[in-house]
Amino acid sequence: MKNVELMVIGGGPAGLCAAIKAAELGVSVLLVERDRWLGGQLVKQTHMFFGSEKQHAATRGIDIAKLLIDKIEAMENIEVIKNATVLGIYEDGIITIEGEGKYQKIKPKAVIVATGASEKTLAFPKNDLPGIYGAGAVQTLMNVYGVKPGQRVLMVGAGNIGLIVTYQLMQAGVHVEAIIEGAPKIGGYLVHASKIRRMGVPIYTSYTVKEAEGENDLEEVTIWRLDEGWNPIPGTEIRLDVDVICVSVGLTPLSELLWQAGCKMQFVTALGGFVPIRDEEMQTSVKGIFVAGDVAGVEEASSAMVEGQLAGLSAASYLGYTVYNIKEIKQDLLHQLQALRSGPVGEKIRQGISEIIASKEVAAAAEGL
Amino acid sequence: MIKTAEVVIIGGGISGSSIAYNLAKKGVKNIVLLEKAYLSSGATGRCGAGIRQQWGTEMNCRIAKLSCDFFERANEELDYEEDIEFKQEGYLLLSSTDKEHQQFIKNVELQNSLGIPSKLLTLEEAKEIVPFLNTEGLVSATYCEKDGHLNPFHATQAYANAAERLGVKIYKFTEVTGILIEQGKIRGVKTTKGNIATNIVVNAAGGYAQLIGKMVKLDLPLYSERHQILVTEPMETILKPMVMSFSLNMYCQQVPHGGVIMGRGDENEPRDFRITSSWQFLDEMTTTVTKLLPPLKNARLLRQWGGLYNMTPDRQPIYGAVDEIEGFYLAVGYSGHGLMFGPATGLLMAEIILQEECTIPIDMLHLNRFRKGELIFEPSVV
Amino acid sequence: MVLKCTGIPTNEDLERVFPSKERLEKGPIVVVECFQRIPCNPCHTACSKNAIKEFDDINNLPVVEEDVCNGCGLCVSKCPGLAIMVVDMTYSEKEAILKIPYEFLPLPEEGELVLGLDREGKAVDKVRVVKVLNTKAMDKTPVLFIAVKKEDIKRVRNIKLQEKEKKFQTACCSDLIEKNSKLSKDTVICRCSDVTLEQIRGLIKKGYTTFDEIKRISRVGMGPCQSRNCGQLVLREISQMTGTPISKLMLGTYRPTTKSIKLGEIAEAVDGGEHND
Repeated sequence: MKNVELMVIGGGPAGLCAAIKAAELGVSVLLVERDRWLGGQLVKQTHMFFGSEKQHAATRGIDIAKLLIDKIEAMENIEVIKNATVLGIYEDGIITIEGEGKYQKIKPKAVIVATGASEKTLAFPKNDLPGIYGAGAVQTLMNVYGVKPGQRVLMVGAGNIGLIVTYQLMQAGVHVEAIIEGAPKIGGYLVHASKIRRMGVPIYTSYTVKEAEGENDLEEVTIWRLDEGWNPIPGTEIRLDVDVICVSVGLTPLSELLWQAGCKMQFVTALGGFVPIRDEEMQTSVKGIFVAGDVAGVEEASSAMVEGQLAGLSAASYLGYTVYNIKEIKQDLLHQLQALRSGPVGEKIRQGISEIIASKEVAAAAEGL
Repeated sequence: MIKTAEVVIIGGGISGSSIAYNLAKKGVKNIVLLEKAYLSSGATGRCGAGIRQQWGTEMNCRIAKLSCDFFERANEELDYEEDIEFKQEGYLLLSSTDKEHQQFIKNVELQNSLGIPSKLLTLEEAKEIVPFLNTEGLVSATYCEKDGHLNPFHATQAYANAAERLGVKIYKFTEVTGILIEQGKIRGVKTTKGNIATNIVVNAAGGYAQLIGKMVKLDLPLYSERHQILVTEPMETILKPMVMSFSLNMYCQQVPHGGVIMGRGDENEPRDFRITSSWQFLDEMTTTVTKLLPPLKNARLLRQWGGLYNMTPDRQPIYGAVDEIEGFYLAVGYSGHGLMFGPATGLLMAEIILQEECTIPIDMLHLNRFRKGELIFEPSVV
Repeated sequence: MVLKCTGIPTNEDLERVFPSKERLEKGPIVVVECFQRIPCNPCHTACSKNAIKEFDDINNLPVVEEDVCNGCGLCVSKCPGLAIMVVDMTYSEKEAILKIPYEFLPLPEEGELVLGLDREGKAVDKVRVVKVLNTKAMDKTPVLFIAVKKEDIKRVRNIKLQEKEKKFQTACCSDLIEKNSKLSKDTVICRCSDVTLEQIRGLIKKGYTTFDEIKRISRVGMGPCQSRNCGQLVLREISQMTGTPISKLMLGTYRPTTKSIKLGEIAEAVDGGEHND
């Protein structure tokens, strides 16, 4: 049994920022990452980030990862375990992990869960044919391992991930036949969409996959148009000759550890699925368990990084650490989050978060870890 | 929801469903079954689903045999369109001490006399059934090829469907919140979806049976103890029978789907209504099972879960009426064997309620045994 | 707004952000095709002249001080949306220079003739690459200086190196509609236990209206993915068939472990002196 002060689960943008912030205040941190490297989704992001300088805007995700990892490595009070998966959070607060053939038990005084999100899947006939990928998998293949997923791609979903991965596929020399989007409008940033359009890739809004075809792997796909009630319109089928379908229909918080830990959860469509009830400082309904990033509600990495810092600060404070200007730091972080979410694109997020921010009474009634 | 009923059964596990079916089959009209969640959501759906006849008392052997015989023909008798998946691949019981071995000899004799085809095996013979069995520290084994296991969700559903065809009304997601009594007689039940007037209530609430008892101010000699199970990812079939050891306090079986299910008893388990999981269970279970069945070292743990054993002081069920409350019946306290006794429970409880002669004499399983201090000793329990 | 459906700015959109003819004739200047309020301000941060004014709200659209901007192009490679280009109408009598961001390999050679593409990726005309800027400060977003006919400055926004237009294959096939009934049979919801949409719908019709019931009777969500893939798909079906909003439905219980682990590995850790205090 390994005793630690603060355990941060997940070494993506939120987890890295959480670990750094808590360590800056003097907390001993154990950071556990499932992958063989830190950075989470950042390492696949070859595009420049939005936001402002404080969230490293105009820097590429992969370079932001480097900045954060360098900081982590320079801090003596952060221990990192890579290539290890958290298996369970148990009723007595003990956390089990497994990595490189070793099973271990960790006993932390506080936990920050920053496990991110997983990709949603889409139900259509033969959706299990080889050649049908999630967008994240395609991004990993290309940008981490340097492997092209195929020759001709249909991208399903015109959210930011769908648009960005389309662009990256084209950068890798892969032909993208089209992007289809079930909604009548493009969900991602329009500047991303414009980038794709001027490369000659069509975007079909109000279209979805009817079915995939193929013997042993994907050979072609049929798409069809949806009416205003999202019902497919017979006769509008278009058959596309592709060997890859890249499904990018959104993310959902990877929250199973929070369920295991007994955190109160709520389904909020705007945040991608079941998310924990939490207070403004990122503490869940279970005392000592904090959240940050997509697991607390799917959003951009910029907000994940700020939430990470906020959770790190709150966990440090919970553990009895402080700094002379802790109030100002907290206010600044809250202000950054507010700014990132204040525009029309953040409206859904703001609404969603207002549904899960626990009242003072709920927080007071929170159970002990 | 219906306003009056002849009989209200509380609990939608195997027991409640089986009681409902048997009463309806005997012609009782207006039966209502209440379940606070969904069918088999409690212990029935959480158990290891083993069906064994190798018991140490005559009564238990007979209850188990009657049940096992029924499961053999359940798909037909209950006219179930799917399959309860009853597979009879046998139970291999292991003894670790001479005392246990001596008990096994007596058990097999008793079982054989009641028509249960069990056999006493040497360790070599046991290894013919499970070649990789690590016999270190073992003395002997018994084996009954007619024992087996089934799918508890389907078994319960089969009973429930058959009961509904006979007119039983099943209300899922309907929790009993109180029981109405007038002058020592049952008058009705209060639920989250309204009240039902009735003169007969059957408490078949499994792990929550003592809470139902409290509603009629009855302090039943029951407590609920968490038991845990784990299942592995499906793997090639390597283990046919259920392997069970009382000394090692564990059982283990590969189900048709390929996953290996295993569980164990533990006196340190909490005696409340917790059904969470613990890491201690994983430590103890994996240590025991990988020693006894070494190839399972490579089986991959998929999931663990907990459920409630509804325990009595002598680990025997309580069947029968309650003297001081007219119309209140108990089918509780299976201490871990509710599923395998399910068919007998239904039949015997129907007989008791209808004041028929019981197919198996079970007077000694009445609640009064604890008041008189006449506890039953069953040597073969995990 | 058409742009929201197509991703292509309309002429009207462009007119709003293009400088006046008079300003264009004075010298190089940026055109910022940023039409959506998103939280982003690197264009302001990048500008050493403060020609792109400071944002009161980070979600505001950029405002260009046309008299201050000298078309230096520092912001072109800093815009995460690649939404900025520079137009220089003073390049020659007939040609203007467009400075556009270009993140594809191989980069064109200086002097090379390439195909100019419009905002829909359609060919406009051959254009000449005058300069390729790719400094370290640009951080892998090179800027191409391309010479285009003056009348094309509002059309050309991208280039393509060689002609290799691939036709977008479309074919209407109403025969597929007849296969509609088989759709749910071939649609896999649970990959771990091979459960199809048809089976799920059948169970919901039979009255299994919670995830837990469907899980127990069909094994959906019992496999290694622990319902990560199928969970929301099943909830959506239940919601659609019963009319209950998803927010009122619950998933099954998430249980340890999040991924599989060999039993031997756990046992070894116990034997290996893991002290359980």
